Amino acid sequence: MDMDKLIEALRVKIVEILNLPDVTPADIPLDGQLVGGELGIDSIDVLEMVIMIEKDYGVVIDNKELGAKVFASLRTLAAYIQEKSPGLAN
Amino acid sequence: MSEVPIYIAGLGAVSALARGTDGMLQALLHDRCGLGPLDLFPVASEAALPVGQVDLEDDAGDPLPRTHRLAGLAADQTMAEDPRPLDAIVLGTTTGGILTTEALLQSGATDPAAFRYHGLGTIAEVLARRCACRGPLITVSTACSSGAVAIALAMALLRRGLARRVLAGGADSLCRLTYFGFKALQLIDPLGARPLDRERRGMSVAEGAGMLLLTSEAQAAGAPQLLGAGLSCDAHHATTPHPEGRGALAAMQAALADAGLAAGEIDYINLHGTGTLDNDLAEARAVSALFGERPPPLSSIKGATGHSLAAAGALEAVVAALAVSHGLAPANTGLTNVDAQLKLNPLTVPLRTPIATVLSNSFGFGGNNAALVIGKDRTRAKSSTAARPPLTIAAAAGLTGVGHDQATWERFAAGGDCAGCLDETTLCQGLPPRTLRRLKRLPKLALALAAQACQGVAPEGLPAAISLGTAWGALSETHDFLQRLFETGQQFPSPTDFIGSVHNAPAGQIAMHLGARGANVTTSGGDASFEQALLAADLLTDDPGQSILVVGVDEAQPVLAPLLDPSVRNAPLADGGGALLLRRGGAPGPTLSLLAYGHDTGPEAVHHLIESLGGARAIRETCGAVLAGIPAAHAAQAARDLAAFAAASGFDGPVIDYRRAVGQFGAASAVAAVLALRMVQGQAVPAALAGGVECPLEGKGVLLLGLGPYLSAVRIALP
Repeated sequence: MDMDKLIEALRVKIVEILNLPDVTPADIPLDGQLVGGELGIDSIDVLEMVIMIEKDYGVVIDNKELGAKVFASLRTLAAYIQEKSPGLAN
Repeated sequence: MSEVPIYIAGLGAVSALARGTDGMLQALLHDRCGLGPLDLFPVASEAALPVGQVDLEDDAGDPLPRTHRLAGLAADQTMAEDPRPLDAIVLGTTTGGILTTEALLQSGATDPAAFRYHGLGTIAEVLARRCACRGPLITVSTACSSGAVAIALAMALLRRGLARRVLAGGADSLCRLTYFGFKALQLIDPLGARPLDRERRGMSVAEGAGMLLLTSEAQAAGAPQLLGAGLSCDAHHATTPHPEGRGALAAMQAALADAGLAAGEIDYINLHGTGTLDNDLAEARAVSALFGERPPPLSSIKGATGHSLAAAGALEAVVAALAVSHGLAPANTGLTNVDAQLKLNPLTVPLRTPIATVLSNSFGFGGNNAALVIGKDRTRAKSSTAARPPLTIAAAAGLTGVGHDQATWERFAAGGDCAGCLDETTLCQGLPPRTLRRLKRLPKLALALAAQACQGVAPEGLPAAISLGTAWGALSETHDFLQRLFETGQQFPSPTDFIGSVHNAPAGQIAMHLGARGANVTTSGGDASFEQALLAADLLTDDPGQSILVVGVDEAQPVLAPLLDPSVRNAPLADGGGALLLRRGGAPGPTLSLLAYGHDTGPEAVHHLIESLGGARAIRETCGAVLAGIPAAHAAQAARDLAAFAAASGFDGPVIDYRRAVGQFGAASAVAAVLALRMVQGQAVPAALAGGVECPLEGKGVLLLGLGPYLSAVRIALP
């Protein structure tokens, strides 16, 4: 899967699972702060995203230190999934 | 002021360390760790996490769920030396019969009888039969502080003189909900809990039961006493503690003040110390803020017992009593290298030293905090038996299937049917979307009620304390969590659902919405859950001017509600609730008095109830109407008791079976309280409810009569 498609897929999933009011997929910035910023995404949302990423991509993010790096931005998240996912050909 | 020392006359402890206080003491003396593998239910994941499981043989012949059995063992130990009947039972639990329920749901069971011990309140009911208690039962569910909050409420009952012998404590069993829930929150240490360690990764989920026989009857010199308690709420976040430990500090300060002690007079601190990064840091900061750079010896025992959730605060109160009796401060089991950031020096080995006073901390989800002070006998005991002004109703709101407060009143007053489930759009009008996005039905109902009741209340009039009663808690979150757990082979349950599944989540949401940082209690006892919340509210407001928001609320989750609540089974699904802002003293206005509440039925119980109301003549002179709470599943018993009440009191005014109108759900009596208030304010029972002719109240009040397995009486009247 190419990176752009992965990023677009993540945008859609994030809005859907987090039930963010008045946020569309396009509102999620590629490089801006993903957690703790204006979108209202917090630590509980991170845990929901962790579950989604493990379920949909087979990538495990099982501790907070790793999570803080991976969820820095949408780009870092997509890059980590791209790198680790057994189902995504590099 | 007369002194009412509260003695600890019996102890019971069942944990991963031992069954019994002798075994517990030995384990603590030798710094043993009770953590090990889980074998209660199959775990699909290859990396099973260590837990604190009790050595309790499986008994296929015993219909009682595991939590009930753990509680029963601890109660038997506690009552062994003095088995005389109890006046009251106050029990903390978060799991109730969920371990059994999980297996039943997974196997597709549909026989409601199989679910009869699901409710949190059924544990206290089982104990009441076992210990011959006909008085009030209170079941507290404030997540991981439940056991300590239960002990605090029991102390208030004793200080008020409402009871002389109370069994208080907490119990929880391991179950899929908590094991996989905390795992989904990444709050479990894969190597076992290492509280305060710099390498700590989280807690170890555990089970157990801790009980204390608390009494105001004088005991032999040297018997440990419960000296004080303090409750608070962070009102900060659903799961994460306030980073500076604001609520933890407030609870500790309140407990010390209640005990009449300065921080420097505490000899040992039993920390909550779960082993999670956030808890241990917030608690350490709060301890440093209160005790400065040189706090007394301190430790968490959760590296030894694991975190037994609702049992933890009670088990640790038992440990505090043992610490005082035996001069033992336990080690911080599991600790290798203390986290320098915490600036604390926990005990690395057990310390034998005389201990006169212990501070024991318990904190929970929803920012629910409790601290207890246990120590040797003292002369400066506090009493609160002095007369207090009544609780006045400053504001109120009800909600049923037909709408918010006004819509519900109009339909009810016209003799119409209010029963149903209000649509979500109408329900959530005016509530902040960012708050709502993660909430399912029960917290939405609770927030809507709180917001409406407090609408127009000046900021200084808003309540600091919350008391919420719910028969079944957050059924949607519980159902959805388990369903996804089962459907995904235990892999992907929702962390959000787990956070929302705790019974106290709705009260935590209200606290955040209102900024209420005082005591925050959730009670759950079937159809008497709201009455329990009223009793807790009464106990938590001693001082004139104190206010508390009391809420009764239940949701009609379509799968679980009919399985769990026998009154719902043959009725249309209905939900809703009521909220009352109560103030001790306050401006002249309608008052609310909980005059009777006990776990008993039959002619003798009705006779006692009438006595509690001041006798037959007083009832006729002060009550203009009765709103009778008749749960469908207990209709026959309720009809007998209602007839006995009418015959013995000579009451011949309107009697309204309100559940016919508002619907069959646990917290229906909270709606009834709000409707009764409307009648009292209008000084009349509407014609449609009084046989076709409006019935003036002529200055009399309205009596809410709770029938079924619990008998209760609440009077709402003008002063």
